[in-house]
Amino acid sequence: MKLRLHSVELQLLPERAVWWPARKLLIVADVHLGKDQVFRRHGVSIPDGVLRHELDALDALLANHAAEKLLVLGDWVHAPPADGDAWPDIVLDWRKRYAQLHIELVLGNHDRALSGWLQRWKIACIGASFMLDGLMLVHAVDAEKETLPAGLSGHWHPAARLRSGREKLRLPAFALRDQHLILPSFGRFTGGMDGLDRQGWQLLAVAGQRIVAVS
Amino acid sequence: MLDFQRQAWQAYAEGQSGLIHAPTGSGKTLAAWGGAVNELIAQDSSGGGLSMLWITPLRALAADTCRALNRPLEGLRMPDAVALRTGDTSAYRRKKLLEQPPPALVTTPESLSLMLSYADGSKRMSRLKAVFIDEWHELMSSKRGVLLQLSLARLRALNPGLKVWGLSATIGNLDDALAGLLTADEQDVDRPGLCIQGRIDRPIEIDTLLPDSVERFPLAGRMGLPQLRAVVDRIEQSDSTLVFTNTRNQAENWFGAIQSVSTEPETIALHHGSIDRELRDLAEQGLAGGRLKCVVATSSLDLGVDFSPVDQVIQIGSPKGIARLIQRAGRAGHQPGGCARIVCVPTHALEIIELAAVRNRLWQGKVEAREPVRLALDVLAQHLVTIALGGGFEPDRMFDEVRTSPAFSDLSRQQWQWTLDFITRGGPALEAYPNFHKVERVDGRMRVTDRRIGMLHRLNIGTITADGALQVRFVKGAALGQVEERFITRLRPGERFIFAGRSLELVRVRDMTAYVRKASSKKATVPSWAGGRMPLSTLLADGMLALFDEYVAGCAHPTPESESIAPLIALQQRASAMPGRGHLLIEQLQSRDGAHWFVYPFAGRLAHEGLAALLAFRISRLQPVTFSITVNDYGIELLSAKAIELEAADWRDVLTIDHLTDDIEHSLDAANMAKYRFRDIARVAGMVQQGFPGRGKPVRHLQASSGLIFDVLKQHDPDHLLLEQARREVLESQLELGRIRAALERAAEQRLMIRRPERLTPLAFPLWADRLRSQLSSEDWQTRVDRMLGQLETAAGVSSR
Repeated sequence: MKLRLHSVELQLLPERAVWWPARKLLIVADVHLGKDQVFRRHGVSIPDGVLRHELDALDALLANHAAEKLLVLGDWVHAPPADGDAWPDIVLDWRKRYAQLHIELVLGNHDRALSGWLQRWKIACIGASFMLDGLMLVHAVDAEKETLPAGLSGHWHPAARLRSGREKLRLPAFALRDQHLILPSFGRFTGGMDGLDRQGWQLLAVAGQRIVAVS
Repeated sequence: MLDFQRQAWQAYAEGQSGLIHAPTGSGKTLAAWGGAVNELIAQDSSGGGLSMLWITPLRALAADTCRALNRPLEGLRMPDAVALRTGDTSAYRRKKLLEQPPPALVTTPESLSLMLSYADGSKRMSRLKAVFIDEWHELMSSKRGVLLQLSLARLRALNPGLKVWGLSATIGNLDDALAGLLTADEQDVDRPGLCIQGRIDRPIEIDTLLPDSVERFPLAGRMGLPQLRAVVDRIEQSDSTLVFTNTRNQAENWFGAIQSVSTEPETIALHHGSIDRELRDLAEQGLAGGRLKCVVATSSLDLGVDFSPVDQVIQIGSPKGIARLIQRAGRAGHQPGGCARIVCVPTHALEIIELAAVRNRLWQGKVEAREPVRLALDVLAQHLVTIALGGGFEPDRMFDEVRTSPAFSDLSRQQWQWTLDFITRGGPALEAYPNFHKVERVDGRMRVTDRRIGMLHRLNIGTITADGALQVRFVKGAALGQVEERFITRLRPGERFIFAGRSLELVRVRDMTAYVRKASSKKATVPSWAGGRMPLSTLLADGMLALFDEYVAGCAHPTPESESIAPLIALQQRASAMPGRGHLLIEQLQSRDGAHWFVYPFAGRLAHEGLAALLAFRISRLQPVTFSITVNDYGIELLSAKAIELEAADWRDVLTIDHLTDDIEHSLDAANMAKYRFRDIARVAGMVQQGFPGRGKPVRHLQASSGLIFDVLKQHDPDHLLLEQARREVLESQLELGRIRAALERAAEQRLMIRRPERLTPLAFPLWADRLRSQLSSEDWQTRVDRMLGQLETAAGVSSR
C-alpha cells in the first residue's frame, strides 16, 4: 500500500515494515530480540525457536527489497543480553551475512545498556530521534496528543480487532493519523494494543499478504 | 447432640477419615469439629504447634467459620484457639501466625498451598492431626480441588496418621466425593473412610408463580420481568426475601426493576460475585438486621455459614439443577423439622415444565453428581514448583506421593517426566529451552534457588483466575467490585453502564482499574459476565422427557404446573409431537427466514452447541450448505437459505457416534477454542503472570498474552502436553463431549420422529426467537477470513493496494 507523508513517497509492507524507495531504506520497529530468553530466565518456558523465526522474517524482508539501509525505530532488543545468553552471538552470525547493509537504531525504551553489543553488531545508534526529508523518526509519540509531527514511530504495537458474527480476529496494524504513521511491532513474540482507532487513528491491518484499512 | 454428630465424633476418636453430608444449617460443622475439640482439649497441656486445619472454598466464608469454630472452645479456657489465614490476612498478621502458630487455622486451598511454599512450611505442618474441608462438593469438581488433593498428599506424607474429613451438601455421587478425600490406595484397605449421613434434607415445598394464562405468557426470553408485579407483591408481604437469579446480568436487571416499582427502594440490595466484598457484607448484614427487606443475589449467596435465614426465597427462572434448588431453598427459615419453601418464577412458558420436572425429581430424591477433575498437569506443575520452593523434593518419592492423590492415581511415568522436565528444563527437548531457569536439582533435591522466581510463583499460586477482571472504582475512591475486561474494553470513556445497581459513566481505564463516576441518566447497558449461565442438568432434562411421556400417556401426576401448561402441550401435540424418552423429535419447516430443521435432544445448552456444529458439519458434507445455528437447553435449530431434504436414513448417518471426536474438532474451530482455554492453563502452570486488579501490572518485561504463548508453543513445541490438555478440556468441559456422546448413543436407540409442522411449534419458537447465530459452512478457515475481510473492506469503502 502506497502512502505519501509530507510529500515523501512510502510503501507499507505486509512484512510489517515500511519501504522508502527514494532512499532505498527499510524501516521496522519493535523487534524485541531476546524476549524469549528473558522469559526462560524468569522461569517461563518459551522455546527458543522464537529468535530464529524473527531472523528468518528479517531475511525474507531483506530478500524482497534491495535495501541499502535498515532503520530500526527502537526496541531492537527486549532486554540487554545477560551472561551466558547465546542469542546475541546468533544475532551476530546473522549480521555478518549482511556486510553491505547499514543498520541504524533509534533508541527505544528497551534498548538499554547495549553499547558493546551494538558495536559488535555494527549497528549505529542515532539517538532518540532525527529528521529525514522533513519526517521525524522517533521511537514513541504520545498517541493521545492532538497534533503530532509528520513522521514515523513505533512503540505502541498497534493491533486491529476484527469481528464478524462469532469469528474474531486480531491483526497487527499500521496506525495513521494526519501525517504520522505508527508501525506495527516487527517481532512476532510481542503483543498488540488495540483501541488506537478510538483515539482517532486509522488502522491499516496486516492480513496475510495484504494491508487492509479497517477503520 | 444428634446421632450423626455422635457417630462422627466417635469415628474421629478412632482415627478415621471420612465425609459428612447433610444439608446447610443442620449441625454439620459441629459434627465434624466436635472430635477436633476433644483432641484439642486433650493435647492442651502438651501444647504448641498447629494441629488442625479447616479449609473453606471462599475467603468470604472464612471469618464466619472461624467464629463458629471458636465458639465451642471459648468455654474451655481456649479463647482464640482458631485463627484465620487467607489472602486478605495482613502480612504482619501472617508473620505472627508463623511465629506463634495457633492450635487451629481456617484457610483456603490457595493459602494452604502458599504456606507449603515457605521453606519452613513443612516443619510447621508436621504436627497436624486433622484437616477439615468445608463445602467439599464445591471443590471436588474443580482444579481447586485438585490443588487441595495435592496439598493433602503432602500433609499426609508429613503426618502419616492424618485424619481428613470433608463436609458436603447432598450430591448424586457421594462415593466419588469420599474417594476424593482419601488416598488413592486407602480406599480399599484397612482405613476405608466413612460416609456419615446427617439429617436428611428438609422437605422442600415449591410454589411456582404461575401466569394467569399460559397462552399469553411469553414463549421465550430469559429475564422474566413480566412477572415483576407478582414478585414485588410477594416481597412486600414478607419481612425478608432473598431473590436468586441465575446470572449477574439477570440480577442487575431484576434489582433495577424491583427498585423502580417498590414503595421502599432503599430496603432492597444487590449481591453478586462481581460486587465488592464490603458492599456484599453490607447487604448480608442489612438483611439479617432487618434494615433490608430484600436482597437480589446470584450463586454468590449459595454458600455461607452464618447467613441468617430469611422468611422467603424466590428463584427467578429454572434453577437448572436439583442440587442448586435444594441449596437455595435451604436459605429459607432454618427451624429444624420445618420445611423449606421456595417460590419459583418461570421466565417463559417452557420453564413451567422444567419446574414441574424439578418437583418430580425432588419427590424421587435425586440429585446431580459432580465430576471430579483428573490429571490436570497445569495444577501438578504449579504444585511441584510450590514444593520445590518450600524445601524441595526428591523426584522418585514425590512421584509416589503425587500418585496417592486420587486426581493423579493414573499419572503415567511419561506424564510425570514431562511435567518434571517442564519445570526443570522448560520442556523435554533441552536444546529448545536454553538457559531456562526455574526448578533446579541441588544435592539430589529439586529446588527453586532464584528468589525472584520464588516471589513470582507465590504471587501466582492458585487456580482461580481473576480472568481479565478489572476493578471498578469511583474516581473519588470507593471500590464497587469487578467487571470483565472484555466488557469494559468495548466501552469508550463517557459511555454508561449499570453495575452494582448503579448507573455509571466510564471515565478512564488505567492499571487494571476502571474509574467511573455516577451517571445522571439511567439509560445504560448492563454488562454480561462470561460463564454465567448453567446448562440444564442431565437429571432435569431426563426428568422433562419423562414428564412428556407421562403427559402423552395421560398418566401425569396432577400438579399446578402441569395444569397450567396443558394448553401449550396440546398445541405442540396438535402441530407436531411431544419429545419423549423413546423417540427423538425432529421438525422441518419453511418460513420467511428460510428452511429450518429443529432437533430436540434435551442435552443442555453446552452439549447442544457442540452437537449442532457437528450436525451442521455432517450435513454440509452430504450437500454444501451454510447453516445458521441456534441452541437452547432443549434443542437445536439449523437454518439455511434453501431447503435441505433429509430422510430418516440421512438423519441416522448424521447422528452416528462414529468419528465423533474427529468430526467435532473439524466442525468447531476447536483450535481457537483451545487457545482460549489455554489462558487458564497457562496461568495455573505459571506461564503467564497474572495481573491483580488494583495492584497494577506485574513485572512489565514478562508480559505476554497466553494467546501469544499458545501460538509460539504450537509452532515450536507442538507436542507440548499443556496444549494437549487445553484441547482435552475444551472437549470435556466446554463442549461436554460426554453429554454429546450420551445424546448420540441415546439417539441410536430412539425412534426418529420427523414432523413437518406448518408453522413454528411451541418448542421451536424459543429457538427461533432466541437466535444467536453462528455461521458454519463447508468453506475452510482461510476463505472465511478472507470473506470477513472482504466484508470489512466493502464496509470501510477503502481499497487495498
